[in-house]
Amino acid sequence: MTPISQDDRIALNALVDGQLSPSEAAALEARIAAEAALAAARDEIAATRTALRNLPRSAVSPRFLEAIDALAEPAKPAVVPQPPRRNAWFEGWQNIAAAVVITAFLASGATYWLSAPRPATLEELIADGHHRSLLAATPVDVQSSDRHTVKPWLDARLGISPPAPDLAPTGYPLVGGRVEVLGGQAVPALVYRHNEHTISLVARPSAAAATAPRAFASGGYNMLEWIANGFAFTVVSDLEPSELAAFVDNYRAAAS
Amino acid sequence: MTGFPSTARSSPNGRADQVQIRQAVDPERAAQLFRQVVLPHLGDGLALARWLAGNASDAEDIMQDACLRALKAIDGYRGGNARAWLLVIVRNTAFNWLARQRSSTLVMVGDLADVDDAASEASATDTTLRSTPESELIRRADQQAVAEAIAALSLPMREVVVLRDINDFSYKEIADMLDLPIGTVMSRLSRGRQQLAALLVRADP
Repeated sequence: MTPISQDDRIALNALVDGQLSPSEAAALEARIAAEAALAAARDEIAATRTALRNLPRSAVSPRFLEAIDALAEPAKPAVVPQPPRRNAWFEGWQNIAAAVVITAFLASGATYWLSAPRPATLEELIADGHHRSLLAATPVDVQSSDRHTVKPWLDARLGISPPAPDLAPTGYPLVGGRVEVLGGQAVPALVYRHNEHTISLVARPSAAAATAPRAFASGGYNMLEWIANGFAFTVVSDLEPSELAAFVDNYRAAAS
Repeated sequence: MTGFPSTARSSPNGRADQVQIRQAVDPERAAQLFRQVVLPHLGDGLALARWLAGNASDAEDIMQDACLRALKAIDGYRGGNARAWLLVIVRNTAFNWLARQRSSTLVMVGDLADVDDAASEASATDTTLRSTPESELIRRADQQAVAEAIAALSLPMREVVVLRDINDFSYKEIADMLDLPIGTVMSRLSRGRQQLAALLVRADP
């Protein structure tokens, strides 16, 4: 018997799993009928699959279900009686778990505003992202001065994309776009250039009312932020504040 | 005034943002979501944890840890496949747990070269001299032998095999959950089952 190629084996698995189209399945079935090695491999895959699927599955015990349900109970997160466990580590872990839950709820309501992350964090993250992009081989994931390329690229990845006008006529050509991850959230960023300086423009979705641009500095970069058109925009660059403000004026004029 | 969501209290129309935030962290609502999203899939999560960890008692610890994480992250659940959402958390929790427990023997997911080597070594067992077809030998294997064979798989293959044959996710779902190309999922499943078959045939008394 000739050995079976990995590709054939993958196709046989997909056949057994019912993941081939009818025409693909029919073509493979015809080959199986003609080649004993394929038929033997198909039987082997099916038998393995059946052996796995026949493994017994233990039911969720009422004790476990109760313990998990209690995790979500704001009023009594820690008082569910547990039968003694042989594992002392687990006991300690239970207490920690309860403490975590209580802490989470304490931190959630009235104390939320006190414990809210300090505003600088996101700004620093944006400055860091810009800094990282300058150190990378290219500051953009998609390189194009054509907004009809950049916008769909961001849309396809994130489902959102900010206005991406090419500002080359005013001296700020669009270089491309990239994805920034800020505190676990992926957001679009546009990259412009001005006299060899790179400008990153990060756009986070925001329902807040429009605000005028506000200038500040973080991580050694000049930055400006404002809210418009459903986005909270932040630009970051090593440009002089006045040049960066001019860019923002241009962008806002072209985007509105 | 910075305009970031975390400082929405100072924004001119902060009310809309505050409503949104209060909803997101309301313990009552979190508990309700948790019960809808997590509790129905405890059995699936336990099964995944059991086969990733290797035994049932560790599986409960992992699952409880995963449920805590799920509760904390419940705001991030955006609808859709709740079972897949939860099992990704279970899978990640199990991997963290495994890394702590036995960092020395753990094959990390990134070690794709190892995966390929292991798979090709375990491939062709000689069938020509055997009177009984391999599929028949596999059918005869008892549960203990199957459990040991699963435990012998490297983690990248084991997780794909378990998600497919124990948890019954589609190829596409597994690819999305593990953030892998579907071709990689198919290849790992094929090689994983092939290794399992070879182990079960060898285990035949």
